[in-house]
Amino acid sequence: MGDSEIHKDRMAAKYGIWFFLFTEILFFGGMFLLYSIFRYRNAGAFHIAAAQEDLLLGSINTAVLLTSSFFIASAISAVKRGNNRLAILLQGLTVLLGAVFLVIKYFEWMEKIVRGIYPNSPVLLKLSSGEVLFFGLYYVMTGIHGLHVFIGITVISFMIYFTATGNITRKDYAKLENTGLYWHFVDIVWIYLFPLFYLIT
Amino acid sequence: MFLGPSNIAGKIETSFLIIVASCVILLALVTITMLVFLYRYNRKRTPVATEIRENLPLEVAWTVLPTVLVIAMFYFGWVDFDYIRNPPPNAMPIHVTARQWSWGFSYENGKQSDDLRVPVGTPVKLIMTSEDVLHCLFIPAYRVKEDCVPGMETHLWFTATETGTYEIFCTEYCGLEHSHMRSQLIAMRESDFNSWYAAKEKAVATPESRGKELLQSKGCLGCHTTDGTKKVGPTFKGLYGRKVTVMTNGKERTVTADDEYIEHSIEDPKADIVKGFPPIMPAIPATDEEMKDIIAYLKTLK
Amino acid sequence: MEDNASREPYYVNRGKYRGILSWLMSTDHKRIGIQYLIALLTFFWIGVLLGLLIRLSLIMPGKILSQGTYNQVFSVHGIIMIFLFIIPGIPVAFGNFFLPIMIGARDVAFPRLNRFAWWLYLTGAALVALSLFVSGGAPDTGWTFYAPYSIRTQANITMAVSGVFVLGFSSILTGLNFVTTIHRLRAPGMTWFRLPMFVWTVYATGWVQMLATPVLAITLVFIILGRVFGVGFFDPSKGGDPILYEHLFWTYSHPAVYIMVLPAMGVISEVIPVFARKTIFGYKAVAFSAVGIASVGYFVWGHHMFTSGMSDTARIIFSFITFLVAVPSGIKIFNWVATLYKGSIVLDSPLIFALSFIFLFSIGGLTGLIIGALAPNLHLHGTYFIVGHFHYVMFGGAGFAILAALHYWFPKMTGKMYNERPAKIGWLILFVGFNLLYFSMFVLGYEGMPRRYFDYPPEYYTGHLISTIGSWILATGLIIIFTNLIRSAFKGQEAPMNPWGGRGLEWTIPSPPPEENFEEIPVIDKAPYRMDG
Ligand code: HEA
Ligand code: HEA
Ligand code: HEC
Ligand code: CUA
Ligand SMILES: [Cu+2]
Repeated sequence: MGDSEIHKDRMAAKYGIWFFLFTEILFFGGMFLLYSIFRYRNAGAFHIAAAQEDLLLGSINTAVLLTSSFFIASAISAVKRGNNRLAILLQGLTVLLGAVFLVIKYFEWMEKIVRGIYPNSPVLLKLSSGEVLFFGLYYVMTGIHGLHVFIGITVISFMIYFTATGNITRKDYAKLENTGLYWHFVDIVWIYLFPLFYLIT
Repeated sequence: MFLGPSNIAGKIETSFLIIVASCVILLALVTITMLVFLYRYNRKRTPVATEIRENLPLEVAWTVLPTVLVIAMFYFGWVDFDYIRNPPPNAMPIHVTARQWSWGFSYENGKQSDDLRVPVGTPVKLIMTSEDVLHCLFIPAYRVKEDCVPGMETHLWFTATETGTYEIFCTEYCGLEHSHMRSQLIAMRESDFNSWYAAKEKAVATPESRGKELLQSKGCLGCHTTDGTKKVGPTFKGLYGRKVTVMTNGKERTVTADDEYIEHSIEDPKADIVKGFPPIMPAIPATDEEMKDIIAYLKTLK
Repeated sequence: MEDNASREPYYVNRGKYRGILSWLMSTDHKRIGIQYLIALLTFFWIGVLLGLLIRLSLIMPGKILSQGTYNQVFSVHGIIMIFLFIIPGIPVAFGNFFLPIMIGARDVAFPRLNRFAWWLYLTGAALVALSLFVSGGAPDTGWTFYAPYSIRTQANITMAVSGVFVLGFSSILTGLNFVTTIHRLRAPGMTWFRLPMFVWTVYATGWVQMLATPVLAITLVFIILGRVFGVGFFDPSKGGDPILYEHLFWTYSHPAVYIMVLPAMGVISEVIPVFARKTIFGYKAVAFSAVGIASVGYFVWGHHMFTSGMSDTARIIFSFITFLVAVPSGIKIFNWVATLYKGSIVLDSPLIFALSFIFLFSIGGLTGLIIGALAPNLHLHGTYFIVGHFHYVMFGGAGFAILAALHYWFPKMTGKMYNERPAKIGWLILFVGFNLLYFSMFVLGYEGMPRRYFDYPPEYYTGHLISTIGSWILATGLIIIFTNLIRSAFKGQEAPMNPWGGRGLEWTIPSPPPEENFEEIPVIDKAPYRMDG
């Protein structure tokens, strides 16, 4: 069957993306659950460990992601108004901010790794088990979130291409809309991660 | 209703039989009805079917009745559960350590054993943990079982009601020798138990005999034999003085099994891996005294 | 669809790809379904051979398999049977082929996503298969991957677990696709209460797939991170907790057993009315009980952990809820039996398999209650009683339903009829062998024989011997059944459009169905299973 014959059903696409995000929530839910259990058991150690996080970088990253979310939302309304050129620009900015987020994250990670704090490192294993867990969770959760940011960037890059080639138009922009939803989701996960790792001191 | 060799066995047996009996009745009902319908409403006998779409009272009946029934079954599984799980305060504590792939039992007075000896008539509480992965202590005859979890203590209790020797199995998969991680429960008359319990470690213990006991209590014999057969690890027979080919950091070399090598093998087993064996031996802490005794014993195994 | 040339069977090639690619690149739900079916049955046979090997080894421990190999064999047997065969099982093969047809659609909602899920399935399966051969050796943890053993063992767990992760992703996408399809693509007039029962169960299954699989995914990620980076969430020496692993694992894996059995129940609900020539009794009750099983089934995972060291209160609660899941299963059983009442029954092989399902699944389910009760579980957990229970529900239940579905839909999928006599003879041998093989396990388990044991004390020998003999009889039956089907697929007589007199939409289109299924999307004006016209 030729691909052209696959009919388009925007409503179905909506269902699809919402179901998908729902499973993503459950995926992250597993991690949040583990976080809450371990934190409940090691409240003190979690506070001590969280003090080592760089609140400034964390806050900057929050701002960066929030802004990028705003850009992608604007890109969608630009497409709706038929202004593909503006939409490309706005999506480009989203990708850029996503990249900035990852770069900042990289520096945060490196700073800790240089101090010898990474899973299973000798330095870390000398700390209390609560702290070991905290940093384990920190790396796992921000790592998997970072992976999602990376996937988001890749997908948005494709969307830029589609907008440029006219595959995404004012009549048919479901792809871009769903990508936007995904990006908002990635953003919201960060909004939850941020207080859990940076603000609990 | 049923007794069995422990106070717990009868309780579990009773609830088991009640539930099994209800299940058998249900199964028989369903099966017989089905077979009767098959026979009665076969195409030959009933060429034309009669439409019956639904019947609300019937649906309600076979929702409510089974609900009542399953709650009753739950109840029979649960009534004695509090009793089964909560040891009386005067129970005799015995500490159980599970490790790949042997059991260690240690008593209040410091006595250690690799089989479990209990007096008939006295409640016993097992306080269990594991040194490595999950294990599970199971005494089929007593109908009791509980996992041994590293980093945490779990418990079991029972009172032996008859003397006898019963099997202990490990029923949580724990790796290669899982199926050989067995031991024995020996229920003894109280007087027999007391004399065993009070007996001091053989008064004139030699280093060799102490070493032999250490191998047992530390679980070495879970992986090594003393009779020349290969188990998970190399045999101890003729080990002392043998030329051994080992892999050190991926390089092969030959060493002689002397005191230093053996000590090293026990303290840091991952450093030299005997060729042809998997690197699974755990580091086992031993004092210098114990080390000497072990080596003394190993020397006797020609 | 104007010209008749486009109404050729779906397997006649008209696309831009040739040969194998025309299948792999196809987005046609029927082609994808057939490919899944072939892959599934291949894995089934591998798993079955491993099962035979387990049985053989158990009557002579040490003679044919070494201890280490035995551990790998039962682990791989479990992993293949669960993750590659029975969980994807009915939805991906029969769901793909028949779901769109049964609701009067031309394809699923996201055909390309469907193809992607199929590729993911292949990738996952390839990873699992590869893990058997690369360094470290085949997984030896059992299919449950319990930590901390799975983090410590030398065996190649990382790759196997990644494979299972990919399979899980594929499963999520399939579930998502089907649920959307059912919401969006029903033909005009196909109201919720006119949906065929099979569609209801695939719908409920789709939800379970979406709800439960992500939990497994993240749990497996933790195992991988534990092995590769030494992250110790389940390692007590690093503050972790092995019991948490069990919780996370079973939060998925219990609902997963309903992923296996719900669509199987759907198949049974399709077959019985057709061969009894009657509407299914209590349509709504059967439909809602599927949803009931799916939702209650989410809260009983703790019954796998009654001896794990979990708190006593939790054990009591989990046991109570476990008993409640039995009620909707019971409702289904009762309604099926009631459907036979005043019917006009023809005992063709699909019905025989369906009725065997009822019997065997009841045994499996009722023994599930026995081990779901607190006190008996203390004795029976970790013994062959459990092995008996789950083979009865999985093989006797889901497995027999697959056999029923294979026979029932065979004419539609291949356009050929199979031979009735060998099918019945095969069934009889299979049924006898099955009960010998697995019923003896209940006895063994009750006597205390632990599972995952390579070697055992001599008092269990007789039980094992009977069981092993049963496995040979069962094998004979299976061989007869499959030989018959494979022969018929090539040499069978042409099948008519509606050989059984079924009333579902799948019986209103040619056998085998053409591409795009329907010339015109049908309009539905009556309830399903109306045999009277
Ligand atoms: C298809 C798969 C499948 C299905 C459908 C089920 C269904 C059920 N299972 Fe099973 N189970 C497994 C697959 C499955 N299971 C597997 C694979 C394991 C082992 C995992 C491992 O450790 O490796 C397992 C293990 C397992 C355990 C853990 C045992 C242990 O390790 O200690 C328990 C305990 O409660 C349990 C209970 C149940 C119950 C109560 C049901 C119920 O849903 C059954 C409901 C059905 C019926 C009750 C029968 C039909 C009804 C009637 C005939 C009507 C009349 C009856 C009444 C109303 C009472 N199962
Ligand atoms: C759908 C699921 C499914 C199915 C169908 C089966 C099928 C079989 N299983 Fe299964 N089994 C599991 C799922 C399944 N199993 C799971 C999940 C476990 C738990 C693993 C774990 O503990 O982690 C398990 C564990 C398990 C054990 C317990 C191992 C242990 O605890 O030590 C045993 C032991 O007997 C066993 C036996 C069998 C047998 C004999 C079959 C038989 O049905 C097989 C019958 C087939 C034959 C006997 C072969 C016939 C074929 C030929 C002779 C060749 C002809 C070839 C061609 C024509 C190509 N299985
Ligand atoms: C979990 C299984 C296991 C346990 C328990 C175990 N070992 Fe080992 N042992 C091995 C294996 C496997 C080897 C071979 C690989 C190696 O060198 O690490 C080995 C090697 C050795 C060697 C070197 C043998 C040689 O032939 O060179 C010595 C000595 C030894 N073990 C002593 C002990 C002592 C003493 C204990 C108990 C205090 C013990 N082991 C407990 C598995 C075990
Ligand atoms: Cu220890 Cu199994
Ligand atoms: Cu379960």
